[in-house]
Amino acid sequence: MVEGHGAKEQVDDAMALVRSYPDECHLGWDYRSESPRADLRGFRLDHLAQDPEDAKFDAGRVYQDALEIRSDRVLPNGARFYNDHGHPEYATPECWSIFELANHDCAGQIAVLRAARAFEAKIESAVRIYKNNTDFHGASYGTHEGYLVPRDIGFERLFAGLLPMMLVRQVLAGAGCVGSPQGRFNGFQLSQRADFMVEPANAETLYRRPIFNTRDEPHAEPRQWTRLHVICGDANMIPTATARKVGLMKLAIALCEAGQSPIWRVKDPVRAFQAISRDESYEFRVELEGRSWTTAREIFESYFSACERFVELDDEMRWVIDSSRRLLDSLHSDFGQFRREVDWAAKRTILAEFVESEAMKWDDPRLPSYDLEYHNVDPEEGLHAALVEMGEVDPDPEPAELLAYLEGVNEPTRAFARSLAVSRFKPFLKGASWRTLSFNVGESPIEIDLDPDAEYPPQLAEANDVETFITQLRGIR
Amino acid sequence: MTDGDRLTRPLTREPGKKLGEDGGPGVPDIRKPDGGNELLRRMKKVDPDQAKKYRQRSGQ
Repeated sequence: MVEGHGAKEQVDDAMALVRSYPDECHLGWDYRSESPRADLRGFRLDHLAQDPEDAKFDAGRVYQDALEIRSDRVLPNGARFYNDHGHPEYATPECWSIFELANHDCAGQIAVLRAARAFEAKIESAVRIYKNNTDFHGASYGTHEGYLVPRDIGFERLFAGLLPMMLVRQVLAGAGCVGSPQGRFNGFQLSQRADFMVEPANAETLYRRPIFNTRDEPHAEPRQWTRLHVICGDANMIPTATARKVGLMKLAIALCEAGQSPIWRVKDPVRAFQAISRDESYEFRVELEGRSWTTAREIFESYFSACERFVELDDEMRWVIDSSRRLLDSLHSDFGQFRREVDWAAKRTILAEFVESEAMKWDDPRLPSYDLEYHNVDPEEGLHAALVEMGEVDPDPEPAELLAYLEGVNEPTRAFARSLAVSRFKPFLKGASWRTLSFNVGESPIEIDLDPDAEYPPQLAEANDVETFITQLRGIR
Repeated sequence: MTDGDRLTRPLTREPGKKLGEDGGPGVPDIRKPDGGNELLRRMKKVDPDQAKKYRQRSGQ
């Protein structure tokens, strides 16, 4: 947010902020393999819907090409930083470990904040960065989770196997929200996104949003892979909440792959998502077909017990199950522990205290400002950061550790190759995307397809010239 | 695995029953965090109209 500016200036501000990123990076992005209108169900949309309110801001304006508008930066850790529909967006490098991902997510806050500080110095106006999902005026913007999934699982199995987890995950990973920008609700709800979900499944992202997004943009060989594009989750401030949010989805995907997903016939998924979000009894009942009901706890447990029976669990998946069970137990018996690890509970606690001390009501128009401030990523200002400083929530990684996450990656993913391309061979780098790297070497450009499932060896970092680097990349299978 | 393998209940709550009495949990005890000085200091600095001024475009 730029002091004194509104939604009309948002696109220009986001472009300028991204372009202010002060550290080493590659400029540009290769958009050729992007396909936001392709649908997992086997068809292609003519166009994606736009929010009619947003359309008014841009009436009559002609934007330049995508590269100009998006202002992409590829960082030395393989992350992408760009303007996405009027806000700065940080996409972490690909990770295999959920804890590495949570650290990269935290490091992204520093990257965006560094760009904001540089932008602020240029324009001499205050710039604040809020990592949240609603502006309290009816606009929402998602936290995108991307999961590499074998295409042969197919839409039907994915939808049936993942939807129940998508509904209940907010109990442990919601960021919390005062009131509702979409309707008459004066309480506190778990999810920032719930009120913006209008259909169980579709490919839209800007308007008429679904719980299960069917965008088919694999960022990899499309005959083998698809990317599950999850947009119904919230932006977490607590790093362990980020790890758990992603880990829960990993468990559900593993069961899909094994053909052992629990089957829940939820009567009205959109209504169920919103009912869980607004259930201030924390009972979290879910209405099923056939005039019966269950609870979020039982849905969680059906995934955990099936995973224990059918999936080979690594240490991280074991942590997801054990810590989730522990938290679900503590929700009603030890809320002080629950709120240390769950954003909505941490936020609700400080807002409840404020409401009480100020003799306010939950529909007080000032409260959303305090909700918003929980998400201010400036460690000197944000309310979440205050809780970290006071030892009231799970800690963030040390700043020095996070800065190292902006310089490179620890895992042998394809992001390691992208990271080296930016940090070692930038003068030769013609284009970068999630799927490909292309280099200006010799008479015609050389393009390398990056296998998303391969292990990229540490020897890549020892290549002394770009030709050797390319030769080594070509040998990775 | 099917719906029948797991516990489900009739949709309608029995009349007269309160939360937690039919197997569901009750309302949790929410206590304040300790040592709220830094939090209080920051909350006092929050512009109570900040959310009114904060506008975003719809994103993905």
